[in-house]
Amino acid sequence: MAQTVTSVPVPDIAWHGEAVTIGDVLGALSGIRRKFAHAEAGEDEHPRARNCVMTLVAVATNSADEARAQHASVAIAAHHPHMAIIVCEEVSVREGRIDATIATHPLSPSSTVHAECEVVGLHVQGAAGEHLAALVDPLLLSGVPVYLWWLDSPPFGTRELLDATRICDALVVDSARFDRPYQSFLGLADLALSAHNHLGVADFQWARLEPWREAVAEFFEPKDRRDYMKGIAEVGVDYVGDARGNRIAASLLVGWLASALGWKVKRAVGGKGGVLVAHFELEGGRQLEVAFRSVPKTDLAQGEVSAIRISGASAGRTFQLTVQRDPERHHRLTSDVGPSELKYRHRAGGDDDAGLEVALRTATRDHEVLQRNRETLTHMATGDLPGDEQRHSSTVLPRERRRGENHVLLTMIDIGGAETLRHVQQVDIEDEATLLLKLLSTGANDTVYTRSLTAAAELMRAL
Amino acid sequence: MSSPRPLDHNPLAEGLIDFKVRDPSLMVIFGATGDLSGRKLLPAIYNLMKQRLLPAGFAVVGAAIDDLDDAGFRKHASDVVTKFSRTQPLDPQVLQAFLQSLFYVRVDFSKLEDFRSLERKVEELDRTRHLGGNRVYYCATPPPTYETIVEQLRDGGLTKSKGFHRIVIEKPFGSDLTSARELTQILQRVFHEDSVFRIDHYLGKETVQNILAFRFANAIFEPVWNANLIDSVQITAAEEIGVELRGGYYEKAGALRDIVQNHALQLVALVAMEPPTSFEATAVRDEKVKVLRAIRPIQDGEVATSTVRGQYKKGWVLGEEVVGYREEHAVSPGSLTETFAGIRMFVDNWRWSGVPFYIRVGKRMPKRVTEIHIRFKRPPHNTFASARDLDPNAITLRIQPEEGISLRFGAKVPSAGLRLRNVSMDFTYMSSFLVETPEAYERLLLDCMIGDPTLFTRADEVEAAWTFIDPIEAAWRDDRPPLASYPSGTWGPPEADKLVQADGREWHRP
Repeated sequence: MAQTVTSVPVPDIAWHGEAVTIGDVLGALSGIRRKFAHAEAGEDEHPRARNCVMTLVAVATNSADEARAQHASVAIAAHHPHMAIIVCEEVSVREGRIDATIATHPLSPSSTVHAECEVVGLHVQGAAGEHLAALVDPLLLSGVPVYLWWLDSPPFGTRELLDATRICDALVVDSARFDRPYQSFLGLADLALSAHNHLGVADFQWARLEPWREAVAEFFEPKDRRDYMKGIAEVGVDYVGDARGNRIAASLLVGWLASALGWKVKRAVGGKGGVLVAHFELEGGRQLEVAFRSVPKTDLAQGEVSAIRISGASAGRTFQLTVQRDPERHHRLTSDVGPSELKYRHRAGGDDDAGLEVALRTATRDHEVLQRNRETLTHMATGDLPGDEQRHSSTVLPRERRRGENHVLLTMIDIGGAETLRHVQQVDIEDEATLLLKLLSTGANDTVYTRSLTAAAELMRAL
Repeated sequence: MSSPRPLDHNPLAEGLIDFKVRDPSLMVIFGATGDLSGRKLLPAIYNLMKQRLLPAGFAVVGAAIDDLDDAGFRKHASDVVTKFSRTQPLDPQVLQAFLQSLFYVRVDFSKLEDFRSLERKVEELDRTRHLGGNRVYYCATPPPTYETIVEQLRDGGLTKSKGFHRIVIEKPFGSDLTSARELTQILQRVFHEDSVFRIDHYLGKETVQNILAFRFANAIFEPVWNANLIDSVQITAAEEIGVELRGGYYEKAGALRDIVQNHALQLVALVAMEPPTSFEATAVRDEKVKVLRAIRPIQDGEVATSTVRGQYKKGWVLGEEVVGYREEHAVSPGSLTETFAGIRMFVDNWRWSGVPFYIRVGKRMPKRVTEIHIRFKRPPHNTFASARDLDPNAITLRIQPEEGISLRFGAKVPSAGLRLRNVSMDFTYMSSFLVETPEAYERLLLDCMIGDPTLFTRADEVEAAWTFIDPIEAAWRDDRPPLASYPSGTWGPPEADKLVQADGREWHRP
């Protein structure tokens, strides 16, 4: 399990320069390293080797993102010696100029590891900002993996990004922060397919889905439940948002299921109240419906998955798995609140309130009308209202991601009509430093993510 | 019509790093109110739950003589987890879920009816929590109870459900070869050997497992890992603590049986074994047992010159004055039990011919440390005059604390002249991997639930270890060599230094 990063001391500014060259920065770094080695060595001892486990190159386009990158880097430094290069681009400024700072941060006094963290800040104005690889390459340490963290939407499809990926081992993004979720997500999927073989692509959004994947995978793990995977009939995914919204997390989760279980997306239809149904074809030509529904939730960030329901039957036995984030209301049986036949017609709804709501919506939607309405389908697929101007704003605000609380996942298992088994698990609300550690601990080369990303992009294109 | 064949693997589990759960199961802990359960097992289960590593439906049934009910056991569990969990502060939601998965049945091990009550409870939980009849029985009890528990499990019908049945026992696995064989026979009357999990918690440590990765996943080390280039191997397992409240047990065990027979010899096996064909339980354990069988027996006449036994006297440890062993609780004032053991041994096979393995284990030493120090031979020709002062190359595998690996080699001192000195390249787990190291018991409990016995000791390994230990133990009972003493807070008696100095070597300073 990745370490949770908490304490964030302030690093010391060891050097700064205005209107400098990268050669100046290199010279300053060498001087700082020499001083550190001499200070660390005792009178009769030789300096120990510097430890450095990675170089983190963070690209920010505003001071708020720059501060986020600094915060994450210093938080990671509490456990892991590394070098961070934080590039803040101001490419719109005509005058070319580089201002630089170098901050150093020794590991905590209790640590016996002789190491420190270096944070190089580069404020780049003008065209130099468009040549990221040339700026950063001379500062990289030999033999140490390089992770490129783009704090907002990377410029997919540009030469700048392609060059930058050539000097790094992995590109890290947060698809929940993409300004234009649909286009950027497809750009990310294209990059993952076309980039050089050794480039890992990592997404915070994917890391946030891990508890969901674990809960679903766990249900099908016992050998006597493996065949249930072939018997899945309906899937329902709720994600946070109003009628429109960022459906990336929900699509990634379904893309993961589809790529693992061999589902092929065929078409999608919209329904009332923001429900969208994707139709998949399974082995043997069997059909499967996946219902996406946006739900308003004040305590979760926009776009986050709030529930998944999977139901079906195998060998004459019905099953239903419901995984739900932060259940707010007391469990009520469907029979208490609505017609009991809904429970059987729309199994993906589940016994919880949200599930019943899905069942009611599913029951009342009119497929034929909506299938004819192509404009509405576009609205469903992109999140943009018909004829409305596209809003290019981040859908996930920093403050929404940093509540510092723990949440729970409630898993409910119904097998063959037996008593519902309820299982509660903790989900840490992880800050960016923790998510970075989690992603980088695997080397950011995750083939399951890549294939899920591809399937999710296919799904989004079909929607 | 035949039913379809179940999928061989779960495609949804691919890529999940921490996904260790397998079939849902139930764990019965015998001695659930005891020290081991409170300090290690219950906190480990809480932390596994916190990491979402336990399957839905997983339940623990505590079985002990204390007159408790579910609520009382949950209260006890809450107390011990609060006190001993490695992760603090506790998460209230996880703790709540953990406590709700705990149940209790009062069991007097001598009463069959109590085991039948246990079976009824287990069967009920199995049905309501979809556990598939899978059961793990953990004996957190003294070894003399194992036989009774095993037989009552059989007679009480607790080994008849349709799922798997595994039993976990703690060391010591017998007190000599004869008793170890008897214990194996007792266990195998009811459980297949593949279902017997003998816990040596050292093997659950990440760094112990990393010995195999270091040796067999890297091309550059294995070619030098033999008698051609290795001069000697030193294994140190030191503790700063005394016997604390375990004086009664320790009086019967001593350092030889308590540490050397299991932990230390397991480390020897991992360092010296041939490459297994895979990291699969049978392949790994087959290679380990070959090493244990290849250890040259120390003949009766050699025990006095190849071994050292010592006992700590009063002294200073970590800045505090401490009493001697004979003043400890439940220890005889005239005790001759060793708290330190030093042994020189050889592994008689092609790879290790003539390479001495030095083992030293002890209590009340300056600090808690476990290390394997591989010392290489000097270069065949001395090119540099100043290299005479240079120590030979060495690889140190640090098991605990500060888990890691160091490589020592010579380098030129930057100056006008040509002076050489030792430098080291350090690899530390803490800073090199961006993940936490799990606690050994957590790993082992999970492996047990999964059914992976790779990190557990097999019966033939236990027997091979006792075959080597028994003659030493017999000579020591005969006071050969005489019991030496050492002040608390030192690295053992002077005789231990003489053991290696006689071969022209020194102990590595951990």
